[in-house]
Order: sequence, then structure tokens, then C-alpha cells
Amino acid sequence: MSLRSWFEWLDALPSSIAIRESIYGYPALLTAHVVSMCLFAGLVVMMDLRLAGIGNLKTPITQIQRRLFPWQMLGMTLNAITGAILFYGQPMRYYGNWAYWTKIALMVLAGVNALIFHRTIYRGVAAWDTDAVAPFGARLAGGLSLVLWAGVVVFGRLTAYNWFQLQ
Amino acid sequence: MSMLPFFQWMESLAFSDFIRMSAWISPAVNVMHLLALVVFTGAVLIVDLRLLGQGLTERPLAQVARDAQPWLIGGFLALLVTGIPQLTTTAMKQYYSPFFWWKMEGLLLGLIFTFTLRRKVTLADEARVGPFWAKAVGLVSIAIWSGVTIGARLIGLLS
Repeated sequence: MSLRSWFEWLDALPSSIAIRESIYGYPALLTAHVVSMCLFAGLVVMMDLRLAGIGNLKTPITQIQRRLFPWQMLGMTLNAITGAILFYGQPMRYYGNWAYWTKIALMVLAGVNALIFHRTIYRGVAAWDTDAVAPFGARLAGGLSLVLWAGVVVFGRLTAYNWFQLQ
Repeated sequence: MSMLPFFQWMESLAFSDFIRMSAWISPAVNVMHLLALVVFTGAVLIVDLRLLGQGLTERPLAQVARDAQPWLIGGFLALLVTGIPQLTTTAMKQYYSPFFWWKMEGLLLGLIFTFTLRRKVTLADEARVGPFWAKAVGLVSIAIWSGVTIGARLIGLLS
């Protein structure tokens, strides 16, 4: 079964059709997606500004990391759930939309960046926890995260424009 | 007095025509508006969570608020600058959208609240404010700005 036929099968399911044709369900989901994005991406930006040595510099890095984490996860969970339902409601719209796939690829890269940072440089945080300017590796991870998540937001928004549609 | 002539005037500006004729300026401005929203709401939430007794609880409230201030103001100015062209190019659509007016009323309320009461409470001595009023201010702030964001998103979806 090709990827396309799998998407077409999803697209034809009654529950998928019901989501895309609902008058209030779809706007409600999209609105919830934007509000949960604010919680997730807003707090990720606040954390990344600290790591990159740009903002919130008086707060120790570990405090920002630990204290904002549960709220970022709450935002991410709501964002992922609403995003998954939106995708489920219009799989064929996203199938040929390269802005959408660029968004997904940037999300994966942002995740990998965070994982690498936590497995390597962040292990030594005790030595530079309160430094306004963290070591280069930490600033790089923070800067990359800012750029990658900004890219996710940009391409997420551009998904709505049909000029990115390949058939 | 009706605001209708003002909205007609905005829509008819050469500035609006110029933007409407370009295929990419509107999407670019829209995208920047969304990025500014993320910075602004991040700066709002980091302080509101602290008011609710969550987030950066090991830091004094006033310091969390002072650190967030440049991002709050910068994010707001970026929202304003990227919002104006979106308003003038679609002024008639906005005029007839109930969600636009909901958003603008919320925005006005949010600005007044943020730069008077919330500012006073975040920069005051925490012991004197007490947890009840701090929590109330944090909740009201989250409610107002969520309302503005929801109204803004619905202009494009339901009007």
C-alpha cells in the first residue's frame, strides 16, 4: 500500500469527513491549536532566550528548565492533540503540502536539538548555572531551538496558503 | 458617531492597495504577527504563572516581571506594527466581524489592566499583596489575553 493510498483511506473515513465538515468543530480545534501553541512556544522562547544569553539572565538556567518544563509539556500535549485531530480531519490537504512537511521536519529537528543538548552539554550545567552567558554549546542549542521553533510556527501558518500544494 | 467612514478610508489607502497587490507581503506580515504573538504571550505567561504560585517560584515576583518586561513590550509593539497593515488591507471585513470588535475591546481592557493593576501588583512587595490578589491578577490576565487570541483567530474563521 502506498503512502498516498493510506492517506486517501484516512481521508474517506466518516469521522475524518465529519471533522472537516463541522461548522464549529474545525474553528474550535484551530483556535485551541493556536492558544496551546502560545503556552508551549511562548515558554520555550522564554527558556531559549535564557540559554542563548539574550533574556531572563538573572534566573539560574536550571530553574528555568525545571520550573517551566511541566507547563511546556502541558502546552505541547494540547498542541499535539489538537494538531493530530486537525491532521486527521484533512489528510489529503496535508499530503501534498510541502509547507506542512517542512513544519514536521523542523519539529523533529527541534526535538533532536533538545535531546542532544540534555544528553551532553546540560550535564555540566552546575558549573555555569548562574552565568549570564552560558558556554558556546548551550548558547548554540538555545539559538538553534529559537530558529527551529520559529520555523515550525512560520511553516505551520504557511500551510494554510494553497501555493504550497503539490498534486 | 459611526466608525464606518474611518474603516472605508483605511481600506482605500494607497498603502492598503500596495499590500493587496503583492502575493507575499500579506502572508509574510501574518507570519510575523504570529511570531510576535509567541514572544508576547511567553512574556505574559512567565509572569502570570509566577503570580499563580507556579513556574519561577524561587525568584522574587518583581524580578521575574522586570526580566519579562522588554519581551512584553517588544512583543506588543511587533504585534501592533504587523497588525496595522492586516487591519487596513481588510478593513471592511474587520468592521463587519463581531470577533474583531471582541478582540479590540479585549485588547483595550488587557492594555489597561496590564499597565495599571498588574504592573502595580507584580512590582509591589509580594508579602503585602498576598497570594489571593496575586492569583486573581494572574488569572484575569490569562483570561483577557486568551480571549483576545481566540477572538483574533475567529475573525479569519467565522466571519
